[in-house]
Amino acid sequence: MKKFLATAVLVWTLQFAFAAEPETIAIVGAKAYITPGIEPTVNATIIIRGGRVEAAGSGLPIPAGAQVIHADGKIVTPGLMNSGTELGLVESGSDDTTDRAVSSGPIGAAFDVQYALNPNSTLFPLARADGLTRAVTLPSASAGAPFTGLGAVLRLSEGAEILDRPRAAMFAVTGGMAASQVRGSRSAQWILLRNALDETLRYVKLGPAERAEPGRNQLLNRMNLEALVPVVEGKVPLAITAFRESDIRQGIKLAEDYKLRVVICGADEGWRVADLLAAHKIPVVLNPFADIPATFDQIGARADNAALLARAGVVISFSVPGVHYSHNAGLVVREAAGIAVANGLTWNQALKAVTVNPAATWDISNHYGTLEPGRDADLVIWDGDPFEPVSAPEVVFVRGKRVSLQTRQIELQERYSPQHANDPWPPAYR
Amino acid sequence: MTGFSISRLCGVLSAVVVVLCARAALGQAAGSAAIPVNPYPSTYKPLPASDTFISGVTILDGLGNRVENGAILLQHGKIAAVGTSLQAPAGVVVIEGNGRWVTPGIIDVHSHLGDFAAPLTPADLKVSDVNEATDPNTAQVWALHSITVQDPQFSRVRAGGVTTLQILPGSRNLFGGRGVVLKNVPAVTVQAMEFPDARPSLKMACGENPKYTYGEMGRFPSSLMGNVAGYREAWVKAREYQRKWDAYNSKHDPSAEPPVRDLKLETLAAVLRGEILVDVHCYRADEMVIMIDVAREFGFRIAAFHHATEAYKIAGLLAQNGVCAAVWADWWGYKMEAYDAVRANAAFVDAAGGCVMLHSDIPMSGEHLTLDAATALGSGRRAGLTITEERAIEWLTRNPARSLGLDDRIGTLEAGKNADVVLWSGDPFSVYTKADMVFIDGAVVYDRHDATKHPQSDFEAGQPSLGVRP
Repeated sequence: MKKFLATAVLVWTLQFAFAAEPETIAIVGAKAYITPGIEPTVNATIIIRGGRVEAAGSGLPIPAGAQVIHADGKIVTPGLMNSGTELGLVESGSDDTTDRAVSSGPIGAAFDVQYALNPNSTLFPLARADGLTRAVTLPSASAGAPFTGLGAVLRLSEGAEILDRPRAAMFAVTGGMAASQVRGSRSAQWILLRNALDETLRYVKLGPAERAEPGRNQLLNRMNLEALVPVVEGKVPLAITAFRESDIRQGIKLAEDYKLRVVICGADEGWRVADLLAAHKIPVVLNPFADIPATFDQIGARADNAALLARAGVVISFSVPGVHYSHNAGLVVREAAGIAVANGLTWNQALKAVTVNPAATWDISNHYGTLEPGRDADLVIWDGDPFEPVSAPEVVFVRGKRVSLQTRQIELQERYSPQHANDPWPPAYR
Repeated sequence: MTGFSISRLCGVLSAVVVVLCARAALGQAAGSAAIPVNPYPSTYKPLPASDTFISGVTILDGLGNRVENGAILLQHGKIAAVGTSLQAPAGVVVIEGNGRWVTPGIIDVHSHLGDFAAPLTPADLKVSDVNEATDPNTAQVWALHSITVQDPQFSRVRAGGVTTLQILPGSRNLFGGRGVVLKNVPAVTVQAMEFPDARPSLKMACGENPKYTYGEMGRFPSSLMGNVAGYREAWVKAREYQRKWDAYNSKHDPSAEPPVRDLKLETLAAVLRGEILVDVHCYRADEMVIMIDVAREFGFRIAAFHHATEAYKIAGLLAQNGVCAAVWADWWGYKMEAYDAVRANAAFVDAAGGCVMLHSDIPMSGEHLTLDAATALGSGRRAGLTITEERAIEWLTRNPARSLGLDDRIGTLEAGKNADVVLWSGDPFSVYTKADMVFIDGAVVYDRHDATKHPQSDFEAGQPSLGVRP
């Protein structure tokens, strides 16, 4: 046993030594979007040290001993960010691998997804291989509708440390399709939201002893009140899913009345209130594919929603509900950006919508979003235009570490590659 | 795709959900005197068309050719000529391509438009027109009868270049019913959209959807083996039904009492006679090969496996058996039977000499089938295959036409074929490219730059939400 342990330690040490990143990495010859939103720097050098970008620009000297990666004129962007997924909370759709929601019991706004995250989910390597390095992962329902609970910002590092910001935002869902959860009327959603904020505002004024036993006529228990304290204090945003113009306006009013930070998610009819959203500095998370009157709340859905909102000055970012929501969280956010460009958003605005904009919306701008010195070195070297579905990343770094682009899907492809067509041994031996 | 786990597939931002997841029996019924020919026949008439000449375009003809700086002539609703040295005849409408691209109209072999119409309501989540989910065998139902022609989604996918659609029942039943092929033209009746003389199809389903739908009700089938027993029992009955009709017809005795008609068995018997093709919702490789054996056991032909996420594992077998695979480029993991899906699926089936096609299932995909093709193309190339754009376009045009048995009329740009054509703003495999013009039988059914050619469904008429921003 001892011998085994000693060997194991030795092997582990060796592996660690081999796997250790070189201290300094220099990416050279890049067409680098150092600050998304402005024109790229051609023939740029990006120096990575200690997990961060140390320097980025043209004509930089390469530090002695640096490992050099030649970008050969290819596009380099910050790693991308998806503003709404269930990454880490879902695997196969099977209930035992699905931790997105609670349906009954005491947990309402206090539902917090951070404890369920599975860094070994097969969704992560694929998302990384598609150029995603940050994502919001969020709850879909709690026992305290319209609140769904607390979402987190993830960093898509390899290994266990994927939590970037727990409790990054409180989420709530409004609208006709969710009204049955509040017994029928969307008005009840807004009444319950306002009541919860009122109760929390009273709660924060209580002393510690009183807080232990909240008042009799409270709808919210202590756990749910505690979860809402940072919201009423303006420390974290309340992210409200709202599609219809009337609901978006209610969200804006809520932000005004309670001096909250509000993010509107969905916002298919957001273009109708673009100026108001901009004036209130309310960021919007939208789905650029949404151009169908899919429900009565979405009659005004149109393909240029992203372009119209951005033109009005709204900070937009993307999330694509449906089958690709989490399982293709990287590819779909790239396609979403491309679709938005095809419908009037500028390319530079689209890149912002998958980097600096979500960074600002979810409060991680101090370390992610650009390739400026001091930021975490999340970056991608692309083999083409990142928004084209035919393109793919060639090199991905998350927090200064080059990550593997191998996925379970690629392993399956290798097993069943046409080159094995005449192999008498079953794929299980490959 | 799924017939039951809507909520599981639904993102929190989604007010709608991913759609729940066989061609109209024209029942030629050779010799079956008592069985009427399609009682709901097509009344389709091509929309008014002018003869049109498009020049200066890159043409992907669907036959594996790429014509640079080519031209195409559409006359009398048909393709008259394709080439590089064509001249515009006098009196035709001339469109300068200026480097744009032309392909055949896209054919989507798996759509639920009209059967799962927008706007979706909470009632549709409980009971929808896409599945008659009351019995594992509903071979008697026709998707045709569920179609809401005013579904605004028809126009959305037309603007994505889709000219022909096969509308299928959902996948909750072993036998979901008959599908129908439609021309993607705005119409007031479904008969006016019906593709004339298209052969009907029967939708069957393998796997999780039937077994969970009925298993969770405590009914048969509740397992994969139950599914297969369910198919076989039905085909045994269908053979017996067919035998009775054959015996009746062979008597040529007008006074003889005909067998009692059974709509369910009528559909299945038509399959056995080869008048209806079979489309099978089937994800897994092992289940697909079982289905090929079931088909052989009872003597019918499977046109295509739909969704077929594991087609790549049996690509050679599919090619040998002449069964097409209708796939998405990249859907995976939302349920167990989709866990092994890979993005090179389409390319691997193609490389084995099989007939692969990209299908939509949901409108979001239907609007962007070229993006699915682009994803599949890029993934195949990265897996080491050499694939050209002129080859990949066949996955959206020629192959689905073949699967539907309509390759004598649509799917390629050849003289004499229907003038179903898309003029793209650029390379159709680019996310930035849009359909500029869509022609069906030579008529301009969509023109991106002409507001009079942006048809609107009745549902959208007079909606303040669509109006000018106040």
